[in-house]
Amino acid sequence: MGFFDNLLLRLDESVTGLFGQWNLWTTVIATVFAGFLTYQIATRQEPDTHPFLLARQAEGSPVRQPGESAVYRSQGAPHGMPLNSGLNVKEPGASKWARGRDGDLRDVWRQAVAGVQEDGPTKGATGRLLTVLGIDKVVEHRLDDVTRQINLIGQHILDQGGNRVAIYLPNSVELIATLFACSFYNLTAVILPFDQSDDAVISMLRRSAADTVVTAPGSFPFDLVVKNYPSLRQLIWVVDEGSKHLDWNEVPQGTGGSVNVSTWQDIVNDSPVDAGKALPPLEGQKEPRDVTVFWVSKPGQPEEMVRFTSANFVSAIAAQLFAIPTAQRMGPSDVFLPADSLANTHTLVLTLAALFSNASVAFNSVAAQAHDLAVATRGVSPTILVATPAALLKTHKETSARLDASLLGRALHRLQTRQLTQNGVMPAAGDGLLSGAYAAAVGRPAGSKLRLILTAERVGADTPRLSSAVLSDLRAFTGARIMYALTAAKVAGAATQTAFYDYRVVADGDGVHFGPPLTSTEILLRDMGQWKTTDESRAGEIIVRGPCVAGNQAALGVAGRIRDDNTLAYA
Amino acid sequence: MDYVQQRVAQAVSNQEAASNAFLTPLNALLLCVLLYTAYAFLLRPGPSSAAAAQVPKEPPAIVFRTFTPRTLLPYNGENGGPVYLAVRGRVFDVSRGRNFYGPGGPYANFAGRDASRGLACGSFDESMLTKDLDGPLDPLDDLGPDQLEALKGWEQRFEEKYLVVGRLVAVGEEGKGEEKAE
Repeated sequence: MGFFDNLLLRLDESVTGLFGQWNLWTTVIATVFAGFLTYQIATRQEPDTHPFLLARQAEGSPVRQPGESAVYRSQGAPHGMPLNSGLNVKEPGASKWARGRDGDLRDVWRQAVAGVQEDGPTKGATGRLLTVLGIDKVVEHRLDDVTRQINLIGQHILDQGGNRVAIYLPNSVELIATLFACSFYNLTAVILPFDQSDDAVISMLRRSAADTVVTAPGSFPFDLVVKNYPSLRQLIWVVDEGSKHLDWNEVPQGTGGSVNVSTWQDIVNDSPVDAGKALPPLEGQKEPRDVTVFWVSKPGQPEEMVRFTSANFVSAIAAQLFAIPTAQRMGPSDVFLPADSLANTHTLVLTLAALFSNASVAFNSVAAQAHDLAVATRGVSPTILVATPAALLKTHKETSARLDASLLGRALHRLQTRQLTQNGVMPAAGDGLLSGAYAAAVGRPAGSKLRLILTAERVGADTPRLSSAVLSDLRAFTGARIMYALTAAKVAGAATQTAFYDYRVVADGDGVHFGPPLTSTEILLRDMGQWKTTDESRAGEIIVRGPCVAGNQAALGVAGRIRDDNTLAYA
Repeated sequence: MDYVQQRVAQAVSNQEAASNAFLTPLNALLLCVLLYTAYAFLLRPGPSSAAAAQVPKEPPAIVFRTFTPRTLLPYNGENGGPVYLAVRGRVFDVSRGRNFYGPGGPYANFAGRDASRGLACGSFDESMLTKDLDGPLDPLDDLGPDQLEALKGWEQRFEEKYLVVGRLVAVGEEGKGEEKAE
């Protein structure tokens, strides 16, 4: 046994010899190693959602018609169940489990005024309505003031014989108030996209057969309209503080003797203080009227006029409310800022959803045209933001350039992106040395509480596309989740939208995908030209069906494909 | 015991040999371990990218077809193929009930055929099936009310359990149905 004795002796000697070299440096290295391992294990987080849920986001029907693909639906509205068609509005005293009714736009405002209905710490809380003026002036509007304006304006238009009301205003409280006034007093609302050329305005008025216009002076070509559109009967100016002293009721010589001109302020102030406090009652209210919107595609092309019923809007609102998980729902502590024009149904539906959830809503009349997030979020720090893809791309470019300049910034950004894509977790904001350093490197304003950004690709309007890599970078830069939707002319709200917890970066095609359908839509692809559906690949013209689509079914006219995880992308 | 004494003596004599250099073999080894761990946690593209959530691809959807009695015949489960049967013009995919309707099962006569009369009368006889595959479909005119009742009940059970994958028309009538459906 001498051989094994020697072997063991030599082994013992070598191990002792190795560890005999232990010195100060070894202690340091061992401590760093133990500390690093402990930190990584202690701060490990579970992914925000299970990866299997992201691997299959929509359900296809088991049978498909020849020439079409299978019908794809969201996981929240499986085949065999009806699509989400209503807000489930209940009377204030009803039980939580009672089946509510679908509701319409009037119920959205009633809920906004009534406050949170669920028992809990926020019961009865209402949101605030804010207007951002200039750089840092924020004006709050009280909810009962706005209710009074809704009642008085609606009654005035009705008394003067108005029937179809065109609204040509930038994002403002008056736009929303007029929309609700039309829904409460049974008038048809027509929302015109703001800041269009004079000819476009006249053409839109003519096509929609509006007899009343609510607009702001300075942007509305009054003389031209009166000359070229004789059916105009009534005009209401929404005058801002600075110009109130002028007499807006005076109609210039030789023009529009038949047009009844008044101002918003006059109508509201001339009535007794007690008038208009109560909304029209729920019993005996008539069927809700339609809302007409105009879809602006490329500049130079005429706007497409689409008529949506109240049911279309309500279904779209319900779907957007469902798209956000219960733990992250909009509530009275949220500040919602639409930095995109309210004439887009996607932005309008989201604003109505925010009002329905009793969140505070801020309006900024220049945000939509600015295409700049910094301009849009001046004066108020929103928690939920609706932005245009152009504004997001601009922010992305500026922040990337700023990060590329510093090595530390790039390393921190790589770490943040790794958290997002590998671990599926939003990087923890706020505390911590690293997060502070990163926020400074990307130029995030201190105290930014932004938690959700919603943005939309408009079919046929040449909006710049956001690839999933750009979206992931933006999530790291802003510290907020981003949901990217596909919107089209005939669909109220969105047709498809990426999932709330989907932080993946996809590499197929151009990396752009629009997520699964919402709970109010179903998508199918019809063979078009070279794009066909086979057993291996699914491509074709995108067809959207559901209660939020005007006419229940619409062909979008563009080719799309369904990816392996059942999300929609352009072909 | 000798061995132990020998080793202790050796250890005592070796104690002063520890140096204060940074790059001793032990330090180098520990440093490599530390660097590899840091790389694994911070830099390596982990399994969570693309490959991880490998949910198998969804099977492609079945295309809704218009069948005639002749084209429906091969779908009787032979060679592991799908099993179809037709009830009142609708073709059901009954592959999940292969034990009943597949080859060797008690109702194997129905597979690939129009089973309406057999279900109405409650019989699995050959005489219940349409003899002439190229002729018109069985019009089921001579069935009594309770037989029609039974047929409706069967049809409802089929709707609940199995998938409709096509429709059955007589030979020569494929085009007509499609025009009506447009």
